[in-house]
Amino acid sequence: MSDQDSFDQYDADQDDAGLDLTPVDPGRGDTRKGRSWRNILIVGTLVLVLGAVLFQALTSARVFFYNVDEAIEQRDDIGDRRFRIQGTVVDEPAAGDDGTIVFTIAHNDARATVRHIGEEPTELFELGIPVVAEGRWDGREFESSQLLVKHSESYVADNEGRDGVGDGTYEVDGSEVGLP
Amino acid sequence: MNDPAPSQDAFESALAARTAPLHTGSKSTRVLGVLALVLLVSLLAFALVITPPEVSQRDSFRLLYLHVPSAIVSLYVAFAITLVGSIIYLRKQSVFWDLLAGAAAEVGVLFLGITLVTGMLWGKPTWGVYWQWDPRLTSTAVSFVLYAGYLAVRKLDMDPVVRSRRAAVLGIVSFLNLIIVRYSVQWWRGLHQGQTFDVADTQMDGVMLFTALLGVITMHVVFAWLVIHRFRVAWLEHQADEAGLDVALRERRAEGANV
Amino acid sequence: MGWEYVIPGYLIAAVAIGGYTLQMLRRGRALSARVPEERRRFLAEKADKT
Repeated sequence: MSDQDSFDQYDADQDDAGLDLTPVDPGRGDTRKGRSWRNILIVGTLVLVLGAVLFQALTSARVFFYNVDEAIEQRDDIGDRRFRIQGTVVDEPAAGDDGTIVFTIAHNDARATVRHIGEEPTELFELGIPVVAEGRWDGREFESSQLLVKHSESYVADNEGRDGVGDGTYEVDGSEVGLP
Repeated sequence: MNDPAPSQDAFESALAARTAPLHTGSKSTRVLGVLALVLLVSLLAFALVITPPEVSQRDSFRLLYLHVPSAIVSLYVAFAITLVGSIIYLRKQSVFWDLLAGAAAEVGVLFLGITLVTGMLWGKPTWGVYWQWDPRLTSTAVSFVLYAGYLAVRKLDMDPVVRSRRAAVLGIVSFLNLIIVRYSVQWWRGLHQGQTFDVADTQMDGVMLFTALLGVITMHVVFAWLVIHRFRVAWLEHQADEAGLDVALRERRAEGANV
Repeated sequence: MGWEYVIPGYLIAAVAIGGYTLQMLRRGRALSARVPEERRRFLAEKADKT
């Protein structure tokens, strides 16, 4: 209690500007148990978040990513495993029964029919657009459950008089699909 | 810790106003600040009003005028400064480079956060998802966590020199991941498109390209202004910790314990 | 099409940069008052040494 008393007196005498002036024993150096716990908590949280991000990425990376021609070549090996298929839409997508979308995608002269059942793709989805579909082979057809529009790095202004769609700017860049 | 008399205090602060003001501004930052504001207003005008919508992405494309410049500034400029500062700090123990590395990293994390948010908001109407564990998105998210970690390490409660040294090591290691970010669109397949600005051929129309370049210049100027101020705040923090309050505080706490 | 994503994006960026700037300037003012005049600026410090 003498510590507390002297502290109160001390506090009253001088303006400490709200600083922590609680007496500590200098002989034992910094006794910062609470603060070291705080450090551990911060570092631990960061390691956990980083681990979670990497785990998600690696889990996702286990789903293979094939271009249409490769997916057809390796159809037997792939079996009914889930994978992602990439290709450009080469015919007008047709709305099938119960909300399915049926269309053909192509890459390097290989073509595959995709039957998509699931959430509708964005408004960008149309003839001439490269897409990435996730799903599995169902016989000769690809059954997709997630259909994403892949945008190329060419950006075209919607100027008057320009017929933008289908003007050949939506090729899948060779450098993006060159490596497995 | 004798408090000076009020009159002396007032005299001193009047003197200080002439040499070192009671804020982090200066003539050069005011010029830079005005320039940044002018650029920001013109960027908004070009990005949101003057440029036409993109042919397929329509208006959501406008997010890229913010997304691409923030990404360039944070990944290529801010974290490069952190890398250089960290290396020099480890070799020469220069306080200047330690503080500059920290200041650049903090503003870099802010810009990288903007990159991620604008990218996600662009991805939803374009790709169909806010997020996909695509190589570039993943490596960028890893960068964000690493540099947020770098900032957290700088705030850890420990010996300042040890802390700065650990932060510097993390500042160097984190940069290695940026190489993965840069080449992720070439090394692996994913959803993210390739480089927007390819030196060889940029596939963008006139006014859109101009706006994109305006965005890059604007974000660089805003970044410079923010980093100068952040450095000055960091310098003040360092002075307050090192020279003044920390020492005095330890002395007073020791006094208290001896009673 | 797309304004419902563009406007939140620009707003978030503006609030993030604006908020960060304000708190940084405020902190700069508060700290300036606590640091002796000759130590406030890095360049002044450097000039002293040479």
